[in-house]
Amino acid sequence: MSAAGAPRLWNLVAELTYRCPLRCPYCSNPTQWSAIRDALDADAWGRVFREAAALGAVHVGLTGGEPSVRGDLAEIVRAAADAQLYPHLVTAGLPLTESGLAALRDAGLRSVQLSIQDADAEASDAIAGTPSFERKLAIARAARALGLALTLNFVLHRRNLGRVGEMVALARTLDADRVELANAQYDGWALRNRDALLPSREQLEAASAVVAAERAKASRPELVWVLPDYFSGRPKPCMGGWGARLAVVAPDGLVLPCHAARDLPGLAFWNVRERSLRECWHEAPGMNAYRGESWMREPCRSCERRAQDFGGCRCQAFRLTGDAANTDPACALAPRRDAIAAARQRPASDALRYRDARSS
Amino acid sequence: MSDAPLSPAAFEARLRAVGTERYHDKHPFNLRMHEGELSRAELQTWVRNRYYYQTRIPVKDSAILTKSGDPAFRREWVQRLHDHDGRAPGEGGLELWLRLAETVGLARDDVASLAGVLPGVRRACDAYVELVEGADLLVAVAASLTELFAGDIMKTRLAAFEKHYPWVDAEGLAYFRSRTTQAPRDARFGLAFVVENAKTRADQERCVAAVEKKCEILWSLLDAVEAAHRRPRLSPHVVLRDDDERPGGKVAVLSERAVRVNEAGCEILAACDGARTAEEIASLLRARHPDTPHVADDVHDFLGEMERLGVLVAA
Ligand code: SF4
Ligand code: SF4
Repeated sequence: MSAAGAPRLWNLVAELTYRCPLRCPYCSNPTQWSAIRDALDADAWGRVFREAAALGAVHVGLTGGEPSVRGDLAEIVRAAADAQLYPHLVTAGLPLTESGLAALRDAGLRSVQLSIQDADAEASDAIAGTPSFERKLAIARAARALGLALTLNFVLHRRNLGRVGEMVALARTLDADRVELANAQYDGWALRNRDALLPSREQLEAASAVVAAERAKASRPELVWVLPDYFSGRPKPCMGGWGARLAVVAPDGLVLPCHAARDLPGLAFWNVRERSLRECWHEAPGMNAYRGESWMREPCRSCERRAQDFGGCRCQAFRLTGDAANTDPACALAPRRDAIAAARQRPASDALRYRDARSS
Repeated sequence: MSDAPLSPAAFEARLRAVGTERYHDKHPFNLRMHEGELSRAELQTWVRNRYYYQTRIPVKDSAILTKSGDPAFRREWVQRLHDHDGRAPGEGGLELWLRLAETVGLARDDVASLAGVLPGVRRACDAYVELVEGADLLVAVAASLTELFAGDIMKTRLAAFEKHYPWVDAEGLAYFRSRTTQAPRDARFGLAFVVENAKTRADQERCVAAVEKKCEILWSLLDAVEAAHRRPRLSPHVVLRDDDERPGGKVAVLSERAVRVNEAGCEILAACDGARTAEEIASLLRARHPDTPHVADDVHDFLGEMERLGVLVAA
């Protein structure tokens, strides 16, 4: 704990914009994303990065939306590197170009996490809602050629879980360092599309076996695979704890403990346009609402796992039970775990609602 | 999955399929051994460490004996103790292994003292004994069934040694020769016992899982041996910076995580120049800190952890 009572900030997530040429139906951006404008220019981001470094941060994830829709991305990368943060780019691969990526590397970029929607071009483009697969492969090769660390991120769901083996094979071809086989988190757009995305337990078990076999083949790339919380009975240790290590700065400057916390009712978060990052991190009432353990109710309050999973995800607790202070219903011990069981029993649907700009 | 038990033939096929998929004959280290690609130092590390495994075998077989109330079973199983321990000093599989150690250029007493056994190897072998001790008789016997695949690997190994490692005296290969006949005999008994006594589908599945677990253990033993000869260096993707909260410490920042390294760890990292092997780094640190216990173990564990976290890469 630092003097003011808040823990050290280690990692900044800079959501540079919510604009994106893709339309993934599980996008984790707010469903009202189009109303949130890009309010910070490169200078303002530079100030945020320096303040983050002063709070202890060593790393910044530059994300969105799609960061490369911003014309000043290279300037932002340089500002992060100048602030002694490790600049890491999270991108969908377009409109980024190979020469654009080279410019980012020259500005100090160290690593790239590239999202690919499937191992198969057609299926990937279908989920992305826009032709993009070939561009992604080109960016992956460019990242490799430029000496950047390369992580591929595949969001998994009912429609692509059967191709996990192909995804790993593609990652091997592209010589990725790391592959995140990330089951969709059912919040935001993914929650709207849950009936069309939620996999069956059989699908997950089959994919688990594939991952185990692939891991045994070679230690590289590192394969990150976690059984999704809907099925494991174990809530995810969301963000390493609320306001514990990581701060998200949204495109409008709002400082949040996670990318989805904006929508929780009754929580006041502060904005770097109006206050220092230090104040937003240490003192914003919303930031402090679920810090530590004093807010917990039973069964979390007396549970020995509370230091590992922090009672799970506040956003999920709110979305599924109506109260963010409840135990995450993904936990097998949660009084409201029926909310998860009910979702798993719903009939699967084929109707996907793509991310769009209509607010509803 | 249906709950009806598999037929004996189908059950046996399941057990054998585990070996086809996961037995350590496919481990890169064994492949290299059998291709003649191991250096003398690598072969020595293997022999020294595998001796620890050999010493655990009679321990787990003794545990299995205590689980059976059947004299006929015990009469058969006790044969394994005789095979490994011999009926008199100077006999048995452990003795043969020590002779192998001598022929590859190690000091017999040094190997027998178990000094220098890698921590990963120790954990793997201890995990096997624990698995057997904690299991019922059926599963404990099932875990031995990797013997089904051992006869073949011993033959391959014998041929490989004669062809590729002519400097290893033929005398020293007696252990492998003895196992080409013992392993299939033991496996036949073990298999018959398991097929007969796994009466429900659930029992059968527990047996399959035990063979899988055992394959994993053998595999991780070789992982540890192999890692001892890799040459770690800092990943090009890491930025090392001072830890402003811990004097002497550093923070290794990577694309996905930041890893705090204390002062002792930093000394090890500094020795990772891509030229020294993990074994050499461990010796270097042991020489520098003669009074600190477990230095070599700590070095190997630290290197393994840093490689897992992506801080180090090793070729
Ligand atoms: S999830 Fe898809 S739509 Fe959302 S920001 Fe990422 S690439 Fe764009
Ligand atoms: S009861 Fe709370 S602390 Fe315990 S495991 Fe469940 S979510 Fe975690």
